[in-house]
Amino acid sequence: MTKKSKGGKEDKKAIETKSKSVSGKSQKQKKPVEKEVEKEVKEEEELIQESGTDSDYDGDSLSGSLNSDDFNSDIFESEDDVTQGGTEEEDGGDGESSQDELLVHEGSIDNEDGDDGSEQIDSDNNEEEDGSDEGSDRDEAVEESDSSEDEVAPRNTVGDVPLKWYEDEKHIGYDITGKKITKKERQDKLDSFLASMDDSKNWRKIIDDYNDEEVELTKEESKMVRRLLKGKAPHADFDPYADYVDWFKWTDAIHPLSSAPEPKRRFIPSIWEAKKVVKLVRGIRMGLIKVAKPEEEPEEGPVPYLLWEPASTSDQKNKNLTYIPPPKLKLPGHEESYNPSLEYIPTEEEKASYELMFEEDRPKLIPTRFTSLRSIPAYGNALKESFERCLDLYLCPRIRKKRINIDPESLKPKLPSRKDLRPYPNSCYLEYKGHTGAVTSISTDSSGQWIASGSTDGSVRIWEVETGRCLKVWQFDEAIKFVAWNPLSSLPVLAIAMGRDLFFLNTELGNDEEQEVIKEMFHSGNIPEPEASVAAIVTWLQDELYGGIKIRHFKNISSIDWHRKGDYLSTVMASGETRGVVLHQLSKKKTQRLPFKIRGLPVCTLFHPSLSYIFVATRKDVRVYNLLKTGLATKKLETGMREISSMAIHPGGDNLIVGSKEGKMCWFDMDLSSKPYKTLKNHPKDITNVAVHRSYPLFASCSEDSTAYVFHGKVYNDLNQNPLIVPLEILRGHSIKGGVLDCKFHPRQPWLFTAGADSIIKLYCH
Amino acid sequence: MDVDGEDVSRRLHVKFVTKLDSPFKVPVNSVAIPSNVTRLGLSSIVNSIIQSDNPEWKTEPFDFLIDGELIRMSLEEFLLAKGISAERTLEIEYIRAVTPRKEEEPSLHDDWVSAVNGSSPRFILTGCYDGLGRVWSSAGSCSHILEGHSGAISSVAVVNSKDAETVTVATASKDRTLRLFKFDADESVDSSTRVTAYKILRGHKASVQSVSAQKSGDMVCSSSWDCTINLWNTNQSTSEGESVPLKKRKGNNQADESQSEGEAVTTLVGHTQCVSSVVWPEHDVIYSASWDHSVRRWDVETGKDSLNLFCGKALNTIDVGGEGSALIAAGGSDPILRVWDPRKPGTSAPVFQFSSHSSWISACKWHRSSWYHLLSASYDGKIMLWDLRTAWPLSIIETHNDKVLSADWWKGENVISGGADSNLRISSGIAIS
Repeated sequence: MTKKSKGGKEDKKAIETKSKSVSGKSQKQKKPVEKEVEKEVKEEEELIQESGTDSDYDGDSLSGSLNSDDFNSDIFESEDDVTQGGTEEEDGGDGESSQDELLVHEGSIDNEDGDDGSEQIDSDNNEEEDGSDEGSDRDEAVEESDSSEDEVAPRNTVGDVPLKWYEDEKHIGYDITGKKITKKERQDKLDSFLASMDDSKNWRKIIDDYNDEEVELTKEESKMVRRLLKGKAPHADFDPYADYVDWFKWTDAIHPLSSAPEPKRRFIPSIWEAKKVVKLVRGIRMGLIKVAKPEEEPEEGPVPYLLWEPASTSDQKNKNLTYIPPPKLKLPGHEESYNPSLEYIPTEEEKASYELMFEEDRPKLIPTRFTSLRSIPAYGNALKESFERCLDLYLCPRIRKKRINIDPESLKPKLPSRKDLRPYPNSCYLEYKGHTGAVTSISTDSSGQWIASGSTDGSVRIWEVETGRCLKVWQFDEAIKFVAWNPLSSLPVLAIAMGRDLFFLNTELGNDEEQEVIKEMFHSGNIPEPEASVAAIVTWLQDELYGGIKIRHFKNISSIDWHRKGDYLSTVMASGETRGVVLHQLSKKKTQRLPFKIRGLPVCTLFHPSLSYIFVATRKDVRVYNLLKTGLATKKLETGMREISSMAIHPGGDNLIVGSKEGKMCWFDMDLSSKPYKTLKNHPKDITNVAVHRSYPLFASCSEDSTAYVFHGKVYNDLNQNPLIVPLEILRGHSIKGGVLDCKFHPRQPWLFTAGADSIIKLYCH
Repeated sequence: MDVDGEDVSRRLHVKFVTKLDSPFKVPVNSVAIPSNVTRLGLSSIVNSIIQSDNPEWKTEPFDFLIDGELIRMSLEEFLLAKGISAERTLEIEYIRAVTPRKEEEPSLHDDWVSAVNGSSPRFILTGCYDGLGRVWSSAGSCSHILEGHSGAISSVAVVNSKDAETVTVATASKDRTLRLFKFDADESVDSSTRVTAYKILRGHKASVQSVSAQKSGDMVCSSSWDCTINLWNTNQSTSEGESVPLKKRKGNNQADESQSEGEAVTTLVGHTQCVSSVVWPEHDVIYSASWDHSVRRWDVETGKDSLNLFCGKALNTIDVGGEGSALIAAGGSDPILRVWDPRKPGTSAPVFQFSSHSSWISACKWHRSSWYHLLSASYDGKIMLWDLRTAWPLSIIETHNDKVLSADWWKGENVISGGADSNLRISSGIAIS
């Protein structure tokens, strides 16, 4: 048992005994004492009552003592335990102390001032016990000696440097005057041995290299060394397991020594601060330092809490850059009252209509009336909603998503309604059936009464548009690549391209005079000698089979186009330079090359509808050449497409439509730019052909995905107004396989002919 | 159950009246019938009433009118829709249903039948894509073949059938000419006689699409792809000596008939596209329909158009008839048959639109005696009979298995039609009072 624990226990004991009154003693002492004790207790109670509630502790005792009988009995029982425990504890200690305790208790009662008395005794006890402990004093002495050793002035003159530096020198360090301190002569081994023989204490001598002297260890020091070598504490009397000394006094001191504040007289003003103040004052007076006006202090008094203040104030935002304001809730209205007025209550029909609504559209709260707050049932969705809330928090993205709030409707271009753009082809009523292979090309005659078609089965047919009757069939050996009707109504001649041959066929549809003109042209017999420049490219021949003219080219023909005057025809072959495109003149049966070089392989050509220009499309771009001038292209149109497949020109001549094999279609406004005015990506597969209507503001594209798209494309006379392009209709109907290979508009009606790989030609009417 | 049945179908008191003659008449008594009967139910009721009087009666389909409207739904719904009270005794007029009762055997041609004409009760005139016109005295018996055209015949017209002896007909062809033929309609029909034209009318620059004759038979008009309407004289030798006399037909020693050529008397210019159809219903009024989406009425005297209706669709056919022979019916490049009333002031909107077809309309003809009935033929292979009093077709004739190119009434109760299946078909027994 340590002193401290003892003392502490005693304190506790003192308190306990006090609280539990003296009744405990009644058991130990004899009955005659009891009465006295009772008297004392009463006195004590009185005392306490008189002194009032000095402390919490007193109050407790008061209440305890005033308790009823059963409560007293409780105390007795508990006291028995305590006393027993106490005796047990004190078994190991001296028996006197317990007696002392008892004495103390009595004394305290006698003293009539429990608190003070016990404290005094406690302190006495402590003092006694402190005095009895001598070991602690000795410890202090040891500590002092240690510190004194430190204070001895170092005699070392070398300084804290490695001695190695002086190893080979004759001196070691310097004295105060700067002279070298010479090393002492060391004893040689023999001398030292002899010395050790002579002197029994010689083994204690140690050479101190730093100070260059011999030190003899004292007895204590050698002992210390020995202890250190053993791994013990150097001092024999050091107790590593000393009892813990609790220096703190656990009892409350009521009165502090002094709580007076530091008196002002002890304040020593700083000169420098005073100077600084003077300087500032001078600065303010001179106006060099501007003092901000003191802010108006907010009015005193309770600041109201703004309940409906907007949650996201600026300072809140500034605090945290990624502050996300909570969603604003609608303020509760009358309908959310527990007892709303009748007009908020939905009728039965309304409730029934809510049931029919979708879950999301249904109102969240249906106002209901309750007679009192007590009758409001528990919120039915509480569990579900808290679960969802947890789910929200759990799944809440930690990244702030920058989102621009744009109404998607506003991004849509403002287009006129399709209804206002009528007429346009939309439904198929007529089909022209008869071909046995894919229909590769169609062409309408200028009046719109007939349509010619060429197919891979080698047949060219002429159909009556009105009834769908096949009027004429010409059968060839090769698959037909291209058919084109002469644009002149007075010259009903059909140009047909297949393989390397180009045929001019008499359709025999014109009146008698026209027929004679054609026959004259075809059968005059004398085909003039071709010019040397084109002799290698083409040969004009008389066709025996159908009485037409055949022109054999040196390469396969990919495209043909009639000039608007119906005399010239351009054919395109996959060849570069000047040989890719040649012009045939029907009336003179002559062929000529274009007077300029073409860069790249031409894909198709197109004559300008009113001027002497020709559009030549290569794989990537379109060039415009002036037919009357030799030289470079007057304009180059950059399509930005991979592979051009077809071209069509607006009858005005300023707008060109280009279709590509990647399903894109470009509208060029040549007044605007050499870049496309609009690029439409509409087909998932290759665009096979594009067409523009001669009189209606319509254009169309057809594709291998077996659809044809019809667009409204209005060109304004006003140069400031850009063309208006509106998609109108997707025409389906051809079988999926192979797609639509050609489309042509009826020259006068807003109708579209489409030629399918399913060997059917369809007419879409408005 | 009985009580429920009574409740579900209320009883109506009706009286059946008719303008038909004695075998079709029923006693004018009020009859109680369930209100949910349709036309079929009413027809069987009337049939059973007649049969009770006349045991040899054969069942006959009837159509029923209440206040001049044909019943095309259940009686109850009809009354509800029209707001007619069911309390009083209803007067239901019945007529014989307008539907063909018999299908004559088809008359096969060599090519598509592009034109039929039944304006003469004695014969049927057809035009064919092989360039021949044919005269049929009845189904399957061809009495005359009209030859001479080098192109497909697009339209035929009977010019003059008043004369007992000879009949004059005109044919228009895609070879840009019209030809006039004369033949004796009452000739024996053992073998079809070949007839050549007595007059060739040249002047059109493109295919002639339609021909129509004046009532008097003195003139014909024709419309063509060259956007014009030409008027021609039909008489054999004109006083001014316009005709070019006597042209021997080469390589034909059989018929040495003289052929004269005629030139157009007047040309009506105004249409901007192919004039697809003309009719000449009155002495000096011609109606025309064109692919330029317009219907025009021409005054023959002045040569000017006095009416111009805009339709919005390319038109293929036109006919004038109906009430006061004034309603214009036209069909074209959409499945809607439109009827205009030009007497209606201030509007050019059609008064009736019939849209049961599913493809282009190729022909429409008014019944010659009825004010209400007209037929329409379409590329969907159907011929529909219409009554202005209802929006549903009275009857659909689906005898053709390809496009119907032309159709007409014949002798009042037959529908004749020609189509792309090269057949002339006659549907007979259509009772129109």
